[in-house]
Amino acid sequence: MNQPLNRRTVGAVLLLFAGLLATSPAGAQTKGAAPKDPETIAQIQAWNGECLACHTEAALHKPPRPGMDIKALSEALTDPAKYDRSNHAGMACKTCHVGGYRDWPHKGPAQAVPGKAETLDCNECHAQKSWHVDAQVAKSVHSKNLSEKFTCSTCHDPHVYQTAAKLKEPAKIVAQDNGMCLSCHQSDEKFAAFGGKLTPAKKRPDIDAIHAWLPNTKLHWNAVRCVECHTPVSPTRTLAISHEILGKDKAQRDCVTCHSQDSALRTGLYRHVAETESAELGFLNSAVLGNSYVIGATRNTHLDRFGLVLIGLVFAGVLGHGLIRILAALGRRSVK
Amino acid sequence: MSDRVFILPLWIRLWHWTNAALILLLTITGASLHFADPKLPLVPFELSARIHDIAGLALAALYLVFVVANVVTGNWWQYVPKPGGFVERCKNQIVFYCWGIFRGAPHPYPPTAEANFNSLQQIIYWIVMYLLMPILIVTGLIFLWPDFAPKRVMGMDGLVPVALLHYLTAVLIVSFMIAHIYLGTTGTKVSSLFKMMITGWHEH
Ligand code: HEC
Ligand code: HEC
Ligand code: HEC
Ligand code: HEC
Ligand code: HEC
Ligand code: HEC
Ligand code: HEC
Ligand code: HEM
Repeated sequence: MNQPLNRRTVGAVLLLFAGLLATSPAGAQTKGAAPKDPETIAQIQAWNGECLACHTEAALHKPPRPGMDIKALSEALTDPAKYDRSNHAGMACKTCHVGGYRDWPHKGPAQAVPGKAETLDCNECHAQKSWHVDAQVAKSVHSKNLSEKFTCSTCHDPHVYQTAAKLKEPAKIVAQDNGMCLSCHQSDEKFAAFGGKLTPAKKRPDIDAIHAWLPNTKLHWNAVRCVECHTPVSPTRTLAISHEILGKDKAQRDCVTCHSQDSALRTGLYRHVAETESAELGFLNSAVLGNSYVIGATRNTHLDRFGLVLIGLVFAGVLGHGLIRILAALGRRSVK
Repeated sequence: MSDRVFILPLWIRLWHWTNAALILLLTITGASLHFADPKLPLVPFELSARIHDIAGLALAALYLVFVVANVVTGNWWQYVPKPGGFVERCKNQIVFYCWGIFRGAPHPYPPTAEANFNSLQQIIYWIVMYLLMPILIVTGLIFLWPDFAPKRVMGMDGLVPVALLHYLTAVLIVSFMIAHIYLGTTGTKVSSLFKMMITGWHEH
């Protein structure tokens, strides 16, 4: 009951803290945004260095301090290289991890989900986006039975996630976004941690078997995202794909949504590339071509014209020839 | 007396009509895949893909049978252009189609058991069966197992050249098929050659 309250007070304190840190006018940027001035950057690097002294792979082999719970630590590692590429790069760890995490040994109330109450929620900094997304997540299949456990960070690792606009390369976007879904839907262990708690316990269906009707299934997993078929287009323009994951009965099975000239890939996966597309060498949807040949969507208009003209000429030739043969035969008959 | 000559053994006729049926099926479904569009009256994409995959594999298998049977029976010799006035014979055949046929002239080289193709047929059938068909089948098989496609070609996905080649050879074979069916009507009677392909007997 007092946890949300707790979080709000902590958030308010942090607001002040972040406000002090920010050099540009407050309100113009997201709370906790990475600073631009070298001094503050150095300060944040020093702070984060303290955390990373323990929270990386290397620390497991050479613990910086005695008396640490190595097993617990082994489940609480971060990858600084990935963090530096993420959308949250440059932020101080303790901007999000507050309270007991700021010092070590970490102290704080015993919690069902460790650390949860002392880590800021996404909506504390992304109020507007969260407002839209929250409503969509609430309608999603995962919220029907699992709304308590299914939070933003279940899918988004805030230390790793990069938006499509930042990643740019479709192959990388696909790998990241499908990785979110497959981390559960291809892992009996993680799936059971969520679905196993339901009554009756939900068994993980095999993803490839469910989609056996989709030819080259593995090829599709590398070329297209789960959300392309499992979510409607977002009603909010700034967010291309809705967070509302539909039930299996509403999933997209019509191949021509992608395999056609007006491919949905244009507004989905390729929306960031399609804007800069030029009709190179007569290919339709040429933005897709660097990554995939998609039957029906990336055909070449020059070759199409060549094919149709050739077949048309053969047809016309054959018809003409036949007509002359008939006329000539009639002529010969009347001469006889 | 001998205005009938038996030139086509059963296996060739069976092969021919199976081949024809498969190619027709592949043409219809291939076009439905390539020009896929909800606004066009085509075979649905999912169904097309399934039929095309099965018919494509069947055609590949049939082609293997065709090649082996040709070697075993010696029928491959029919396809080999024979020296000694080959160009001349092709020319005569073309002149016949462009002129003689309209005047009711006889076929310059009527089929016999020893040589059932004229020179023009030899060269064109040779190109179609031993050049275009292998290209079509190999690119089709790569389409089925895209792991065998090159990763990238000239900054594009490696499947692009495979797809373009598959489409291009398909267009050439469909063009050939149209002309081929039409030339089937140029026998003694319009139906003679079709009958021959069923019974094996050629009527002069
Ligand atoms: C302490 C504040 C804070 C919290 C908490 C926070 N973020 Fe961020 N987030 C930022 C800042 C600062 C940026 C970079 C500036 C920007 O682009 O808005 C950012 C950027 C992002 C971006 C890329 C920009 C965009 O909005 O498209 C995403 C996505 C994102 N955060 C998701 C999350 C998610 C998911 C969570 C919860 C797990 C979360 N954030 C929690 C501060 C925060
Ligand atoms: C001296 C080593 C050390 C330092 C420094 C350290 N931590 Fe930790 N941290 C741990 C260990 C060990 C755990 C495992 C559970 C425990 O002991 O609380 C942990 C747990 C956590 C957890 C909870 C993970 C979970 O699943 O329960 C978070 C979040 C965390 N640390 C954040 C931070 C942040 C942020 C900093 C820097 C301000 C930091 N830590 C500094 C050792 C350290
Ligand atoms: C934008 C906010 C944000 C920033 C910045 C951030 N974290 Fe986290 N961190 C989270 C959230 C959210 C969780 C997940 C808590 C939960 O399970 O709900 C988390 C979890 C963790 C955990 C627990 C293990 C895990 O991976 O789930 C560790 C350890 C941790 N963070 C360390 C760090 C370190 C070290 C940094 C700085 C390099 C950092 N965090 C920066 C938001 C953040
Ligand atoms: C079921 C997994 C899942 C959950 C839960 C989830 N997200 Fe996402 N989120 C995604 C995927 C997949 C994308 C990529 C969609 C795209 O690029 O259009 C995404 C994209 C985003 C983006 C970036 C959109 C852009 O502009 O590129 C934001 C911001 C975001 N999510 C916020 C949230 C917040 C806030 C929550 C919690 C209320 C949340 N997400 C919960 C899977 C999830
Ligand atoms: C080409 C569109 C498409 C793509 C891509 C796709 N799906 Fe599906 N998915 C469907 C359809 C259609 C169904 C319903 C199938 C049925 O009912 O037989 C479905 C069913 C499911 C189900 C329901 C299983 C069950 O029976 O309980 C899950 C879970 C699922 N998909 C997850 C995923 C994941 C994870 C990915 C990404 C790796 C993904 N899907 C990619 C179209 C797609
Ligand atoms: C944390 C684990 C987890 C993640 C991540 C996850 N799922 Fe699920 N998903 C589940 C569980 C558990 C269920 C079963 C829920 C139920 O039956 O109430 C489920 C059910 C589904 C269903 C079936 C709905 C039906 O009608 O039966 C679909 C479709 C689905 N998920 C798609 C996705 C997609 C797409 C993503 C990625 C954006 C994703 N999931 C990410 C755990 C997860
Ligand atoms: C969400 C979009 C999407 C949907 C829906 C979809 N596909 Fe695809 N499909 C793709 C993409 C993208 C590729 C390209 C894969 C690659 O080679 O990188 C592809 C590739 C293929 C291929 C391999 C040949 C090629 O073009 O590379 C076949 C065959 C195929 N799809 C058939 C189907 C069938 C049949 C359906 C419907 C049951 C379907 N697809 C539905 C996006 C989709
Ligand atoms: C006359 C015969 C054939 C014709 C006219 C034909 C035509 C086509 C066309 C037009 C496409 C669409 C490609 C694109 O949009 O770029 C296609 C795809 C394809 N073809 Fe063929 N093809 C023929 C034979 C074959 C054979 C012999 C095979 C296999 C051995 C094959 C396998 C495939 C495959 C696997 C695809 C991808 C779509 C799918 O999986 O169904 N094709 N074909």
